[in-house]
Amino acid sequence: MRIIDVHTHPILREDQRGPAGAAQLIRRARAHGIEHLVALGDVLAFSRMQTVEQVQLINDETAAVMRAHPHFVTGFCYLNPLLGASAVEAEVARGVARGFRGLKLEIANNARDACMAPVMRAAERHGLVVLQHAWSMTNIHQRRFHTDPEDVATLAQRFPRVPIIMAHLTGCGVRGILAVKGCLNVVIDTSGAAPEAGLVEFAVEQLGARRVLYGSDAPVRDFGVALARITGSRLDARTQRMLLHDNASALLRLP
Amino acid sequence: MNYLDANTWIGAWPFTFCDSHTARSLQTHLKQHGIQRALVSPLGAVLAPAPGPANRELLRTTRGLVGLIPVPVINPALANWREELALVAADTRVRAVRILPNYHGYRLRARAVNELVAALTARGLRLIVQMRLIDHRHEYHAMKIKPVPAADLAALLDRHPRLAVLASGWLQPELKKWLPLYPQLLADLTFAEWYDTLNHLREKVAARQLAFASHTPLLITAAARAKLDTSTRSKNERVALASGNLHRWLP
Repeated sequence: MRIIDVHTHPILREDQRGPAGAAQLIRRARAHGIEHLVALGDVLAFSRMQTVEQVQLINDETAAVMRAHPHFVTGFCYLNPLLGASAVEAEVARGVARGFRGLKLEIANNARDACMAPVMRAAERHGLVVLQHAWSMTNIHQRRFHTDPEDVATLAQRFPRVPIIMAHLTGCGVRGILAVKGCLNVVIDTSGAAPEAGLVEFAVEQLGARRVLYGSDAPVRDFGVALARITGSRLDARTQRMLLHDNASALLRLP
Repeated sequence: MNYLDANTWIGAWPFTFCDSHTARSLQTHLKQHGIQRALVSPLGAVLAPAPGPANRELLRTTRGLVGLIPVPVINPALANWREELALVAADTRVRAVRILPNYHGYRLRARAVNELVAALTARGLRLIVQMRLIDHRHEYHAMKIKPVPAADLAALLDRHPRLAVLASGWLQPELKKWLPLYPQLLADLTFAEWYDTLNHLREKVAARQLAFASHTPLLITAAARAKLDTSTRSKNERVALASGNLHRWLP
């Protein structure tokens, strides 16, 4: 089975994971049969709101992982939209020049905030995918800066031509799946928290098999566990193939 | 490899789309995943006003089903917990009981818990403390339930240093923090995860303190197997985690 992992953090300071640790993680991914992964950067390094220089460092590290593992790693450019339009545009330009194929948003701000407009316009201009961290805020109460699936739906409706990966199926839950159901530019990755039974099947039932992608969130999650969310589900083999590979391949224009 | 699962359930859970298992369907499901034996508790005892009816059904429906070891739920906050314990302990298959302090409204520091510990010790039964049943971030919106404080379990173990306890549902950081401090404690792998789970845990935790657990049907059974099956730890160690450690822990 061919596998693309759309959600990994090969560099992670919290885990003392630098370039050597990234190489170790990539070896582990290969051992699980993963043939390509998306590196999202150490997005919570320093704080949830990084400076221009810190954002550049995070993306420099992602670019270095791409260079060290050509044809295996696709980088996404991390952004802090609160730094303003010119900083966002400059960093996106730097990322595009390095071959990044997407933009990564974490918890500097909520996806419904006005500061997202330059991010989304840049994504549209450069043909990039936006991967937005999301989690149900029902029990977390951080919505001022932490994106709920309803906020992803708002973002998607404002920018319907930009493809969005809403991260963390398990964190978004049933309500999150339903929140983005009508937003055809939104797909969901299967990462997030423990592998709760029944959710992947529900997502496929509601959104269709083309709108669900495999993602692990490694190293925070175990590759084997993350893969088993799909291979251990009731989905048929063809659907599993779409989630594990074909959907990501088409979205990221990978061979 | 033989698997002895430390954490499975029968009955329905109303807040997710997970399966609702009878004892027989659970046995079939586990067998399909290569799990030969399992400790099984009744989900019906978690939210009901008293665990008795669900325990009775557990004992009745698991009878004759090879491989399912019933683990009734005891609620020491209820006045009849001694009668309930006596009832379930009369069934010779019962070797441990499970408590859920955060769902049943008491702390592990409560006097009744000390009394329960004494009663279990007198009967030669083991204690499973459900530290976490559901990721509290994903609880149903009307349920305001937090994990059992780890410090409360530590205090219980300090008061009863010979008590054989299985902590169920700890996250990876909790396992790494608390297990080295309490070498007599066994913990299950229900919520333990890192990109290479076992190698990561073993940096801090002794192999003999960890036990395989799937948390079926709330979590995906195959995902629990993957933690061991895809690990690079030695065969002997994986065998110990898959069944040996829990087998040794049970009376």
